Amino acid sequence: MTSSYPAYLLRRLGQFVLVVFIGINIVFFISHATPIDPVEQTVAAATQFGATSPEAIALMRQSLRELYGLEGGLWEQYAVFWQRIAVADFGPSLSAFPTPVSVLIRRAAPWTVGLWSIATLISWSLGNLLGGLAGYYPRSRALRAAGAVAMALHPIPYYIVGFVLLIVFGYVWPILPITGGYQINLERAFDLRFVASVFRHSLLPALSLILVGLGGWFLGMRSLVSNIVTEDYVVFAELGGVRPRRILASYVMRNALAPQVTGLAMSVSTIYTGVIIIEQVFGYPGLGSLLVYGVLAGDYSLVLGVASVSIIAVALAVLAIDLLYPLVDPRVKAR
Amino acid sequence: MQLVRSCLIAAVAWLAALPALAQGTISNLPRNQTLIVENPEGTIKNAGWFNIWAINAGGQSTGLHQLMMDTFWYIDPNRGVDGVWDNSLASDKPKYNADFTEMTVKLRPGIFWSDGVEFSADDVVYTVETHLKTNGLRWSAPIQVNVASIAAPDRNTVVFKLKKPNSRFHALFTVRWNAMWMMPKHVFEKAGDLLKFDFNPPIGLGAYTLNSFDPNGKWFIWQRRPDWQRTTVARFGQPGPTYVTYLDPGPPDKRVIAQLNHELDIIHDTSPEGMFTLAKQAKTSHGWFKGFPYAHPDPTLPAVIFNLQNDLLKNRDVRWALALLIDIKAVSMASYRGAATISAIGVPPTGTHPDYYQGPLEDWLKAFELDTGKRKIKPYDPTVGKQIADMLRPSLGDQVPSAPDQIARAFGRGWWKPDPQAATELLQRAGFKKVGGKWQTQDGKPFAIKITVEGEARPVMTRAGSMIAQQWQQAGIDAATTVAQGTFFERRQTGDFEAIISWSVETWGGHPDLSFFLDSWHSQFVVASGKPQPPRNWQRWSNPELDKIIEDVRRVDFDDPKGVELGRDYLKLAVREMPIIPLMSYNVFTVMDETYWTGYPNAETAPYTDPVPNWGNTKYMMVKLKPTKP
Amino acid sequence: MLAIARDLFRYNREFALGVALLAVVGGVAALSLVSPYPPNLTYVVPPDVPPSWPYLLGTNSRGQDVFWQLSFAIRNTLAFGLMVALVSRMLALVIGLVAGYLGGWVDRVLMSINDTFLVVPLFPILVLFYFVMRDSMTWALLALVMAGLGWAYDARLIRSLAMSLRTREFTETSVFSGMSVGRILAEEHFPYVLPIVFSTTLNNINWAIGLEVTLAVLGFTDINTPTIGGMIFWANQHTAMVAGIWWWIAFPVALVVATFIGFFLVAIAMNEYIDPRSRLMRTGA
Repeated sequence: MTSSYPAYLLRRLGQFVLVVFIGINIVFFISHATPIDPVEQTVAAATQFGATSPEAIALMRQSLRELYGLEGGLWEQYAVFWQRIAVADFGPSLSAFPTPVSVLIRRAAPWTVGLWSIATLISWSLGNLLGGLAGYYPRSRALRAAGAVAMALHPIPYYIVGFVLLIVFGYVWPILPITGGYQINLERAFDLRFVASVFRHSLLPALSLILVGLGGWFLGMRSLVSNIVTEDYVVFAELGGVRPRRILASYVMRNALAPQVTGLAMSVSTIYTGVIIIEQVFGYPGLGSLLVYGVLAGDYSLVLGVASVSIIAVALAVLAIDLLYPLVDPRVKAR
Repeated sequence: MQLVRSCLIAAVAWLAALPALAQGTISNLPRNQTLIVENPEGTIKNAGWFNIWAINAGGQSTGLHQLMMDTFWYIDPNRGVDGVWDNSLASDKPKYNADFTEMTVKLRPGIFWSDGVEFSADDVVYTVETHLKTNGLRWSAPIQVNVASIAAPDRNTVVFKLKKPNSRFHALFTVRWNAMWMMPKHVFEKAGDLLKFDFNPPIGLGAYTLNSFDPNGKWFIWQRRPDWQRTTVARFGQPGPTYVTYLDPGPPDKRVIAQLNHELDIIHDTSPEGMFTLAKQAKTSHGWFKGFPYAHPDPTLPAVIFNLQNDLLKNRDVRWALALLIDIKAVSMASYRGAATISAIGVPPTGTHPDYYQGPLEDWLKAFELDTGKRKIKPYDPTVGKQIADMLRPSLGDQVPSAPDQIARAFGRGWWKPDPQAATELLQRAGFKKVGGKWQTQDGKPFAIKITVEGEARPVMTRAGSMIAQQWQQAGIDAATTVAQGTFFERRQTGDFEAIISWSVETWGGHPDLSFFLDSWHSQFVVASGKPQPPRNWQRWSNPELDKIIEDVRRVDFDDPKGVELGRDYLKLAVREMPIIPLMSYNVFTVMDETYWTGYPNAETAPYTDPVPNWGNTKYMMVKLKPTKP
Repeated sequence: MLAIARDLFRYNREFALGVALLAVVGGVAALSLVSPYPPNLTYVVPPDVPPSWPYLLGTNSRGQDVFWQLSFAIRNTLAFGLMVALVSRMLALVIGLVAGYLGGWVDRVLMSINDTFLVVPLFPILVLFYFVMRDSMTWALLALVMAGLGWAYDARLIRSLAMSLRTREFTETSVFSGMSVGRILAEEHFPYVLPIVFSTTLNNINWAIGLEVTLAVLGFTDINTPTIGGMIFWANQHTAMVAGIWWWIAFPVALVVATFIGFFLVAIAMNEYIDPRSRLMRTGA
């Protein structure tokens, strides 16, 4: 079965649309099954301290109900919801009324996307590079040690690794910031000080993600390469006196890369989950913190917004990798 | 392999160089002139919103209401800088007419907004009229319920005409945590739709203005006004800190770490264990009490609140039986590690309350008799506070006070003695049966009770609930906790619980008037099961005797000593009926680091205000603080 | 089967190490049956005692013996992982085998759903579930939800195997002899995919435990059931780290890490066993 790049592209696009559609439907119906009444949440928060009179609360309840626009049946809300998604507007946040959810998301998203893409990129390329070397030089002691470390770290969940790093570098040997995205009162300018501060604050979160992520790519690449080195064309190249570095780069790694790119597309969502958790551990101001805040505040328009954006973002990342895939591996035109 | 080796060397070198990169938490501010405070609201999702009159739109205790807002009066939860009552924007106490339908307020002259405009009666009239006209502002409802009209006969006088008699109307403008704040007319009248107005940058009457804030809501920095003399706190001197930063330091353990590194001057609250760590490791860190129990007792009364609309709990005998199955010492240990201030009666044992209530009622409590159906018992054990102190002394030594009055203040006086036999008799009288070590209700079903707790957000209360459930379980009741997390308040309001660890009693602290919570306990406000109950009668208790007390309180003046008598009547009634089981005051582990600042309030030598930094009343703390390294 | 295990033990150090780790973990879990204390009671021993006799791993700030608490926690955590893995294996097997064998539009529909589950970020969905269910989110329900979300990756793997099995001769023989689709899949194909199912099960257990720990630590599960995540949750509630009660955190973390590594090592050993080429390399035959 052969087909052209456009057909492949079309099929992938179709998959993207389907994923987003199913995912957002799940999110909508789950979140609307919630028993939480946002008006009661607000009343509770507003009357937690200070004087309150019972008659006044009754009046407050009534006006909040009007303000939040909580009328209309489920299907009506469903229709409105899709209209809103189309224009990237999730309505006002109920715990930060009347600020639109989209504004809150826009403020948080760069932090998450930054952490997510940099951690993914570093762990994928470093893992593959080291894994490739380890497969090609199976007797190197340093690489075998690296393999053992990767093997030990890989199965541990993000939370535990982040938590241990937090204890070690925040408490036992406190040299790195353990909360926030940048230094307090630093002006947000694109200058060296600000970038350096963002970098310092992202070190521990990123390191947690990389330590866990690295192992998978390392082990995958090592076994791929150790299989490829026994292939005839590699053996012939070695016999033909091609320099080892060239063999490794063009003959071995290149061919092993294709499945690793597929693997990347498949694990984008797992890594995303990791980012959300790690943000929580390090108080990083991204979408993960926003999501957990929304859950605890009972703000379902916010939760719905963040979950929808997460699904779209992950689906987009997968789509991008899928579309690049034929370029990495020209043999595979369609699958 | 050269590559791998050099990578490794580079990594080690990089790690070694890291300490050199270490830097302070705050950039561009002189640390010795900056006070760093925890804001318990955490990260403010909507950081750029300062319109505090819109409900829940942005943060409140980001420094905004402590440092920028002002209103007529403040009541201190402790002793006050100059007495419990402070006339802030008003120059005198409120003046009511004979039937409490009119309140006149005299304003303090010479107070200016932070943009240089002078404050006047026009601002007050504008604020009140705006709330009359606009629905959905934070204080719209109480204003609309109470106020018929407002007038300003002159620049420094306002007169409120009320819709019906209300001897406590001034409470709306009297700060206990917060109160209705004044709006700057000259800003708000140009703002358009007030529900959509973000008020950024804010203009205020306090001694500070906004310096900068994090768009992601992690921190807010405020700066002392150059014209601080034109604000109400100037009567007490210049506020010490040039800058005040309110920030989100993360969970309790990160707060402790930050203070150990002297990067957080005031911790709002941490776990008891975190407090003990600081007391042990940081010479410069202090709590409200110099020694154990360290914490500041807030004028809030955590209790086991029963849902009195639940058939099983309608019977007073059942509620009393459950109370007699609680060992308060174990609850104190499990929740606060002993650092609790217990109270057997329905007002928090804080501020001036022990002088008005706990102390004078002690003899009545000792004589109080409870009829179990078989016999009469005296359930009150006046030595419980002392027992807790004695229990802690071996491990904490002279951290634990030994003078009886100090023990009473720190740990509370007495509580109900655990009495399983009396509890059994009471349950039997209620028609319950014990079968195979398990209690059954009148109709033969297992006696099951769920205690709703908040969970992570309030660990100490969650721990107390778990302990009480365990004690009831051991007595043969099918008790368990259920963690409500974010639904906690909703459940409390809609009555979706059997028992809940929360509080329906909050008081002024410094002032003995109990109307702050008691008025809302009138049966006229109790709603049907399933409907949302207005604060604070979460137990949905209705009692004709109580109604009469409340109606009497409404008729006496705020400062009338008869109010205290009526308060004691309420307390005795609540002991007999046991609608809630009072446990202890809400002790907050506020920890203050004296590395950069001194002059913080404390129980022994400077009880001038509540150090708990999310209280609006902490504005008085700023004038007492002095830098240690000027 | 025994011979395989013996071979693996002899030639595969990872396998030996993995089994040893799991044996320790399983042993600790089994000891919960003889625990002197019920798991939910607090203040049964003096609080905050460092590891010493008779409290081998110390006691926590809630007055519980960390060792016995740990044995209950790891037992529940393992049971949770196993339950998720078993249910999700059933889903993965049925969907993978059916899609692979039938092909055509059935395959396309199933794989579209499958790919959706691969891409949808699970954590927000799980948190949403919690958001809706709140305290009716019991331990068993959480396991079911996670099983319902955790089958996709392995269904794809099984499908690709099933596709190759379909073209084998014995399949055609069975078809001609009139066996039903269900029987062909259950009796003929199932044994072939069993090894791969086994190794994916181990990884799936790890995945489930990892998520459970994470959710529990964030307080998104039932805190009345002791689990590893629950232990860390309570330790954090008592700021055990800064209070110096390190044994309350270190031991659960160490044990759960041993669990993860144990399952993972056994899984990769199984994978190698399935792939004969690398097995030969190792045994040197």
